[in-house]
Amino acid sequence: MPAPLLQLEQATIRFGGLTAVSAVDFTVGEGELCGLIGPNGAGKTTVFNLITGVYQPTGGTVSFCGRPLAGLRVDEIVALGIARTFQNIRLFGSLSVFDNVRVACNLHRATSPVHSLLRLEAFRADEAAIARRAEELLDLFNLRRFRDAPADSLPYGEQRRLEIVRCLATKPRLLLLDEPAAGMNPTEKVELVRLIQQIQRQFSLSILLVEHSMKVVMSCCQRIAVLDYGIKIAEGDPARIQADPKVIEAYLGEDHQSVAGH
Amino acid sequence: MPKPHLALLAALLLAFGISHFSGLIDPYYLDVLTGIGINVILAVSLNLVNGYTGQFSLGHAGFMSVGAYLAAAVSVFLGPTLLGPGGGTAFQQNALFLGALLTGGLSAAVAGLLVGVPSLRLKGDYLALVTLGFGEIIRVIFQNVEKLGGALGLNGIPAYTSIFWVLVFVALSVFVVTCLVHSTYGRGFLATHDDEIAAEAVGLNTTRYKIVAFVIGAFFAGIAGGLYGHFKMTITPSGFDFTKSIEIVVMVILGGMGNTLGVILAAILLTLLPEVLRSVAEYRMILYSFLLIVLMLARPQGLFNFKRRKAKP
Ligand SMILES: Nc1ncnc2c1ncn2[C@@H]1O[C@H](COP(=O)(O)OP(=O)(O)O)[C@@H](O)[C@H]1O
Ligand SMILES: [Mg+2]
Repeated sequence: MPAPLLQLEQATIRFGGLTAVSAVDFTVGEGELCGLIGPNGAGKTTVFNLITGVYQPTGGTVSFCGRPLAGLRVDEIVALGIARTFQNIRLFGSLSVFDNVRVACNLHRATSPVHSLLRLEAFRADEAAIARRAEELLDLFNLRRFRDAPADSLPYGEQRRLEIVRCLATKPRLLLLDEPAAGMNPTEKVELVRLIQQIQRQFSLSILLVEHSMKVVMSCCQRIAVLDYGIKIAEGDPARIQADPKVIEAYLGEDHQSVAGH
Repeated sequence: MPKPHLALLAALLLAFGISHFSGLIDPYYLDVLTGIGINVILAVSLNLVNGYTGQFSLGHAGFMSVGAYLAAAVSVFLGPTLLGPGGGTAFQQNALFLGALLTGGLSAAVAGLLVGVPSLRLKGDYLALVTLGFGEIIRVIFQNVEKLGGALGLNGIPAYTSIFWVLVFVALSVFVVTCLVHSTYGRGFLATHDDEIAAEAVGLNTTRYKIVAFVIGAFFAGIAGGLYGHFKMTITPSGFDFTKSIEIVVMVILGGMGNTLGVILAAILLTLLPEVLRSVAEYRMILYSFLLIVLMLARPQGLFNFKRRKAKP
């Protein structure tokens, strides 16, 4: 049996006295769309930071395609095929929408940096190919009309979508989305779910989706893991998670309604 | 031929033309023009580090001094042997000078690498401190190398700097920085400036970008130093102190950080300002400082920064 795409084994991280992620086992298989949910402060974003190399685990391992990621730099992990968005959108604010996507194409540039000075035929062909790819991605998300606007001038929802486009430009195999529906109204959420499913098919991606509210997760994830205080308290398909008494209790404290999906 | 290369060719031809007719230009204006050119090289190269890449280097004068001293050493100590007793033809002298400049530039680049690698790997604003320290250390070193004139400075540097070489290196520095930042690769400098964490998250090695910017910046500072030494014919360690670094930083800030055209205009303005204020000799520095403060307060985004900020869907 081939190694799962992403595998967390007993992944743990402590910040001083706080164990933000505690011995979490979790896998994402090729082509899966999984959800990671839990109340605020449960450790979801920290799991993303562990996977992407922002933090090194204090215990356990994270592997991608069977390869342990310990000791790799963030950009090296991206190069292996893991891309992420941020809970608080992090675009290159002063760069144009086009440049935000273009700069993420650097991983798959065909020519070396010296070519930007020589500007030979190969360089121009490379730049043209990159521009074409960036524009195709923008078209896909209907962002072409903002092409030359600075990214930080976009409306909020468009910024969220631009961040996903930027991820796709790195040609990931695994996409990590950190609360992509945050701040969206119900119509936008439905639209987002459609979009996530579309890019998963079109780019044959595996996706790990972090969500605070359950509506989005329940409607598109095949398998869901639930974190509470850094501990995985449940895992299973949406129906099972919705019925799990431990999950309901974890959510009861703050926002019971989100379990029911209102 | 690609557009940037056409522009570079045109600039080189212009340099050739101007130097051909330089005999017709008043020597005073020629000197001012040389001073402007050297400052433009300094400001444009520092702008790659402090403007485009968003780091804060305070050591540009330090790299300038490395270039000035090493280039001067080549023409003062190796020159006589290489050129022979007759002093060589004009062509030989220019060839020697180019070699001296490149020696100065490359030495400064190596110094940049030695300073940049350890300090740019750390997250946070260590660069300002480290470069500040570097500037002081390098000054003390040159003060204590007797062979290079010690604290009194190095005299008798041949006056090889011509308006031709100044304009050539102005054109080259602008060309290199512009070509870099307008390529897909070079957008990484700006991305590093905007958000380092996001830049890493799209697969950019931000440490490498910072080091590349820093080393290229140091190289051109070294070239500018070489031009300066062979222009003034004498250099002293104190001529490249902290004040000089600040002067270049101010040009970059006033030009609008990461805006090459603005930085060039600011370098021109700030070189001319003391010349214009020459008539009020004793108040010159006070007036200069006062004008700077007014400019900074009136246009904190930079005097020549006209970027529009709104989206037009
Ligand atoms: N760098 C850090 N230093 C100290 N504590 C942290 C750090 N990052 C996260 N935490 C803590 O870890 C816990 C989990 O945070 P987080 O992963 O952001 O939660 P979630 O994304 O599930 O809302 C929180 O208590 C948070 O304060
Ligand atoms: Mg979070």
